[in-house]
Amino acid sequence: MELLNMDNVTMKFGGLTAVNNFRIKINTGELIGLIGPNGAGKTTVFNMITGIYKPTVNKIYFQGQDITEVKPDKIAKVGIARTFQNMRLMNNLKVIDNVMIGFHLHLKSNLLSAILKLPGYTKEEEEIYNNSMELLKKVDLEKYENEKAGGLPYGQQRKLEIIRALATKPKLLLLDEPAAGMNPQETRELMDFIQQIQDEFELTVFLIEHDMKVVMGICKRILVMDYGVIIAEGKPKEIQDNPEVIKAYLGVDSDYA
Amino acid sequence: MSLNLLLQNIANGFSLGSLYALIAIGYTMVYGILRLINFAHGEIFMLAPYFLYFGFLMFHLPWWLSVLVAIILTALTGMLTERVAYRPLRDAPRISALISAIGVSFFLQNLAIVLFSGVPKSVHRPEFFRTLFQFGEIRIQSTLIASVIISALFLSILLYIIYKTKTGLAMRAISTDIETSRLMAIDVNKTISITFIIGSALAAIGGILWALRFPQIVPTMGLIPGLKAFIAAVVGGIGNISGAMLGGFILGMAEILFVAFFPELSGYRDAFIFLILILILLFKPDGILGKNVQEKV
Amino acid sequence: MKKQHEKYLTIISIIILGIVVYLAQNYLDAYKLRILNLGAIYVTLGVSLNLIYGFTGQFSLGHAGFMAIGAYTTALLVLPPYYKEIIFIIEPLVWPFTVLHTPFIFALLCSGFFAAIAALLIGLPVLRLKGDYLGIATLGFAEIIRIIANNIPQITNGALGIKGIPEFTNLWWSVGVALFTIYIIKGLIQSSYGRALMAIRDNEIAAEVIGVNLTYHKVMSFTIGAFFAGVAGGLFACLLTTIDPKAFMFVMTFNILIVVVLGGFGSITGTVIAAFLFNFFLEYLRPVEDGLDLGIFSIPKIPGLRMVTFSALLLIIILYKQKGLLGGVEFSWQGLFQFFNRFFNKKSSEGSAK
Repeated sequence: MELLNMDNVTMKFGGLTAVNNFRIKINTGELIGLIGPNGAGKTTVFNMITGIYKPTVNKIYFQGQDITEVKPDKIAKVGIARTFQNMRLMNNLKVIDNVMIGFHLHLKSNLLSAILKLPGYTKEEEEIYNNSMELLKKVDLEKYENEKAGGLPYGQQRKLEIIRALATKPKLLLLDEPAAGMNPQETRELMDFIQQIQDEFELTVFLIEHDMKVVMGICKRILVMDYGVIIAEGKPKEIQDNPEVIKAYLGVDSDYA
Repeated sequence: MSLNLLLQNIANGFSLGSLYALIAIGYTMVYGILRLINFAHGEIFMLAPYFLYFGFLMFHLPWWLSVLVAIILTALTGMLTERVAYRPLRDAPRISALISAIGVSFFLQNLAIVLFSGVPKSVHRPEFFRTLFQFGEIRIQSTLIASVIISALFLSILLYIIYKTKTGLAMRAISTDIETSRLMAIDVNKTISITFIIGSALAAIGGILWALRFPQIVPTMGLIPGLKAFIAAVVGGIGNISGAMLGGFILGMAEILFVAFFPELSGYRDAFIFLILILILLFKPDGILGKNVQEKV
Repeated sequence: MKKQHEKYLTIISIIILGIVVYLAQNYLDAYKLRILNLGAIYVTLGVSLNLIYGFTGQFSLGHAGFMAIGAYTTALLVLPPYYKEIIFIIEPLVWPFTVLHTPFIFALLCSGFFAAIAALLIGLPVLRLKGDYLGIATLGFAEIIRIIANNIPQITNGALGIKGIPEFTNLWWSVGVALFTIYIIKGLIQSSYGRALMAIRDNEIAAEVIGVNLTYHKVMSFTIGAFFAGVAGGLFACLLTTIDPKAFMFVMTFNILIVVVLGGFGSITGTVIAAFLFNFFLEYLRPVEDGLDLGIFSIPKIPGLRMVTFSALLLIIILYKQKGLLGGVEFSWQGLFQFFNRFFNKKSSEGSAK
């Protein structure tokens, strides 16, 4: 079933065209990769999907609905979650709070019952707490429950950000370079983790990555961008052998050359 | 309204505008470099006439020398406030520096009340500044002409400094990216001090011209004009020096004409200016000449 | 610590507080009572500003404006009609204020309500702005309110202000309102909505992407803060018994800001302590301003010295202890318990180590 459809979208900032005629159809359950050199426009694509930018030309559809002009908080409600390339945690909040905030958008209790701590609200709050602890346990972060998120080691912070995104109960998860700054061991764990949560939470994953091992290892389909346009699309093996891709990616690991 | 009255008002608007422009430049320069609204700038403006008063009346310096001394002292005070109250907070969240600026503003104001008392003092006006030039039916004070000429003069000098000297280049570099400027061996501290000196000196000139026009000075005289000059800077485009000048004139003109056309609403003249501020912030926050800088996501 | 025990401790402290208020109200002189009342009112003001700024991260400098709306509303509702007719000498008071005469509690609620409406109207457009820009926009709004108050004598008696307001505010009211404010705002902060507000403070873009509706939450926090500022304004009017536009100049917002900075952003406990400290020292330093005659020599009257001191104090705190005197620590029974535990355990281990 088609989940996400970007229909030849273009993003212009004044005279600069950051993304040109980007098109993709993602079906439920897929794990798609988006790669390309720095500045190719990959994060801009994510920003368009999540409503931070509005595409200059054409539309984006999610589950058949037009989400082109929908603001970020509504996008989350609709079922799309994301992580950020330069990581955006709430550093002054506790680790547990960072996760619990992810559940806020599904809160049924209204403001008054929350302030007055009515029974309906306290029950929901307890559920949120328990669910958040469950998520923390999945990534071995439960012992950091009351630590400030900003104090966590880098790798843990990345995991926390993914957990926070999962708390919003998304159908589509956008991961922007989740393996950045990780060593090979951590990267392997991350790969396993992504596949694990994909099964467990029935997610569709759209992944931006630089690390070739990650992308080639787990993605069934890969898109390659350069200078704002898609230059190749296909299965990992096809991409590896594509001369356009090799040309754009001068720094490609010789294993894949 | 008769043509003469209209022209008279326009002349007044120009004059007031030039004073706002002189003060606005200080705000915009500091904001451009430090991203800080220097709330204390209005108090800097206020101190200059007081230095002039004391120099002339107490130390019996010749008037022109008193003016010079007043400008220098004011510029030094400005530089000092940066050293003491802003430099330590350069790496702190911006709000801390803002609160510090408000603190300095109140500190200086109340210090002036303590030292000089709240009783208005009269600044001596030399003969030249009391003359009235007559153009047909329109009377123009010499201070009016003086302020327009002086501000135009100093703006030109300033633009020369900014665009044609190394110091100016350093200022522009810092306002774009302070971290990289440090890496490029630009003496950031020195450049920022120079910025404050120039801005404060211009405010001092504005303050003295203001006192020549309204010779009664009080310690609270800097608050409202300071705020309005800041609004002028925002209207013209905060961070942009030509914008500050433009904004100053626009605001001065707007204020005078508002009272001229709606004399029954004259009690609201300040509210009108604040309204302009809110509208500009909502609809064109980068001001008339400003540029849009987006946050990278 | 068990939630049940915490509840009991809180109830007991409130009862003790009630006894203290009773004793104070009946046995202290008017001078001391005034300072305590001001302290309590500043608690309400400080906590409400802290909600907007310390917890939601919105730098609002418009608090005096909301206070003004509240103060005038209460004054107009609480004064008897014949009296209003007498004091409005510039221009006669307009209907319906001429006939309205309501109980104190109703007036306070109206004060809060109208301040909240104003916050809603100004907040919707203005809360889009960030940092300094929001600060000066709200400052501009507060000044506009003040200037309007100065220029509509048919409602506010213009620059003359309103005098002879009945002195309804006593310690029961001011402390009661303060407690209510703390109860509500603490309740908000310690809920999912509170987390949303703090998320906005820490990282607005991420908060939005996580599903937090920025407009709703910012405006909600702003409006609630304004409500309590309005109520505080009403208490203020009925404490000082006279109000005029000059009472609500930027200095007022600055005072509240001092209290919040002193107490630490995001710390309700800190605000409570700072509110009382601020008012105590403000009064304490008054003799310094009035001049001291020590026989041998005398220090002359120096008005304004208090504010110089406070500004200097504010600067020192901002420069050296940015998290406020308490360092952002919040009071809790649990925390107090642990503090004593550590204190006593340390003592006993030192003893036994001999």
